[in-house]
Amino acid sequence: MSDSGRMILEVRDLRVRAGERLILDGLSLAVRAGEVHAIMGPNGSGKSTLTGVLAGRPGYEVVSGSATYLGRDLLAMPPEERAREGLFLAFQYPVEIPGVNNVYLLKASLNALRKHRGEPELDAFEFLNLVRSRLTEMHMDESLLNRGVNEGFSGGEKKRNEILQMSLLQPTLALLDETDSGLDVDALREVAEGVNALRAPDRAIVLVTHYQRLLDHVVPDHVHVLAGGRIVTSGGRELALELDRRGYDWILEEAATA
Amino acid sequence: MNAPGTIERIAARHAGLAPSLGGGAAWARRRARSLDALVARGLPDRRDENWKYLDHARVAEYHFDAAPQAVVGPDELLPRLLPTAESRRVVLVDGRLDARLSDFAGTGGLEVLDIGQLLEQDPDGALALLRVPGEDADDRFALLADAFAASGVAIRVAPGAALRVPVCLVHVSTAATAAVHQARVVVEVGAGAKLTLVEHFVTLGAEAALGNLAGELAIGEQAEVVHLRLHEHAPAAAQVETWVARLAAGCRYDQHLLALGGRLLRSNLRLSLDGRAAACRLAGLFMADADRQVDLYTQVAHHGAATVTKQDYRGIAAGRGRGAFNGLIVVHPTARGADADQRSRNLLLSPLAEINARPQLEIHVDEVKCRHGATTGTLDEVQLFYLRSRGLDPAAARALLTFAFCQDMIGRLPLPELRAAAESLVAGALPDRELIRGLL
Repeated sequence: MSDSGRMILEVRDLRVRAGERLILDGLSLAVRAGEVHAIMGPNGSGKSTLTGVLAGRPGYEVVSGSATYLGRDLLAMPPEERAREGLFLAFQYPVEIPGVNNVYLLKASLNALRKHRGEPELDAFEFLNLVRSRLTEMHMDESLLNRGVNEGFSGGEKKRNEILQMSLLQPTLALLDETDSGLDVDALREVAEGVNALRAPDRAIVLVTHYQRLLDHVVPDHVHVLAGGRIVTSGGRELALELDRRGYDWILEEAATA
Repeated sequence: MNAPGTIERIAARHAGLAPSLGGGAAWARRRARSLDALVARGLPDRRDENWKYLDHARVAEYHFDAAPQAVVGPDELLPRLLPTAESRRVVLVDGRLDARLSDFAGTGGLEVLDIGQLLEQDPDGALALLRVPGEDADDRFALLADAFAASGVAIRVAPGAALRVPVCLVHVSTAATAAVHQARVVVEVGAGAKLTLVEHFVTLGAEAALGNLAGELAIGEQAEVVHLRLHEHAPAAAQVETWVARLAAGCRYDQHLLALGGRLLRSNLRLSLDGRAAACRLAGLFMADADRQVDLYTQVAHHGAATVTKQDYRGIAAGRGRGAFNGLIVVHPTARGADADQRSRNLLLSPLAEINARPQLEIHVDEVKCRHGATTGTLDEVQLFYLRSRGLDPAAARALLTFAFCQDMIGRLPLPELRAAAESLVAGALPDRELIRGLL
């Protein structure tokens, strides 16, 4: 892991409003290739707003600040272009889309990215082989392919499906929004394996989480605490352990008196 | 309002055609009575409660000439047929039974009668077979069909006969002029019998006619009928249909309507659950794009105790398309323990498109279970974002979600071998058809 990797994402002094409320209030963050960052924080601190804004979810107003992704103005790009340029958001609440076959979405998605990179689309045979190998890695049942996207999936199945998509699309920057929430021990380990498999010198991963238990399996290089819409403190792995032991209150108090 | 002269034109055409319609004096009187009733009342118009969404001016564009007798070769028709694994085939060309294209002989328990022949050979039998339409607005197009009655088909399934293969009733429209062709269809299913009927409306050539179908369906006690109805008319073709169905005790009727083509479709279904525990399931999907109009009216009357209706209709309007779903369920005092559920879900894909959904329940007895609901909206923003966040452009995301809205209904089609065909027909009827084909 090296700080000398190229800059993947640089967020500067970002202020974001949702409706009347200012949710992000001067957030800055720099993520380089090869790094895994964990962003932790209590409920309502702005964690999901951060991932939403970075992925292009509608409903936010950027008041000031910037987000630069691979040297480009991320906030000016439509969501599909962010995805095609290698940004992936694993949703906290993966959306159910009855009637859209899971495998149609995977194929449409992968081919949209390949086309963008100037690569030929995969034929049906190549595609299925690729998906099947990923399914096996994720310990997912093949029957999930032919169901509606996330339709009737259990909480664990939905999260695995997000990781399946991620491992198929091989993003440059993966944002995982509370992917660990609601998972049992086995599912958590499998999701973590999926994330670890993505770790590479040319990619970066940002894990947004309330608890540190995912970090037992995916060891981060940097840990940040998000509170009141900004990062109030940063550290290494030990910060996450301390948060787990002591809760968030002491950090919030320190931040308030700082 | 009827366009000035529509009824006069109908009467004039009737005077010209009547001598050639067959069936002797008895049928001449019968047709004259129906014509008189129609002339006295007129075609339904905007002021009639159940007809207010229809563009009546469009109906008035037809000149009410009979379609010229067309000859359709098997080579033209066969490629258009649905890929049923195995089936019996009954083909009506512009309302007339075509024995050469049909294939139903030697099927135990199945009787197919040519109404045109019956009129000539047994006029009294034909009088008894064909219902005399009423004079209320909902039956006026049936009166029109009766006034010109000359052809059609009766399909009978003997009591206790369980037909192993589906019967495909193919309505072929051919006329290249704005003619009107009339058809009568009678389906009688005996007690305890089983029938799968696949009705398929297709257009051959540059068709521009209006088909007017009067249909009757009688289902005997404990019988089971699956009825798939696929409207796949060409963009210039139009269809009006008036179905009357009676369901006896303990029978099951399962109808799936896919209304995908034509510039105008008005479909009336009046269904009466007469016997105890008679049950119907009505599923429908319509698509009105460009400047097409689809206007569906259903009326279900619960008479028997413990009768059941499950109705689920979905509609899509795009471009300047106009759709209407008007569904009335009446639970009569005799229908204790009735269970009625009516859903209408509609999707608007353009600001100029229009859908009128009007679910109605009328309950005249306690101790029933009745629910209904209607929604009309646009595509779900959260789902759109999810798809875009996976790299799909907005047009592809919209196309996929629109198709998904239909997919639910296709998945419920009772003949699995027809699902792929239906999927491809539905995809082909949607506004972003090229995009969807690329995604499937």
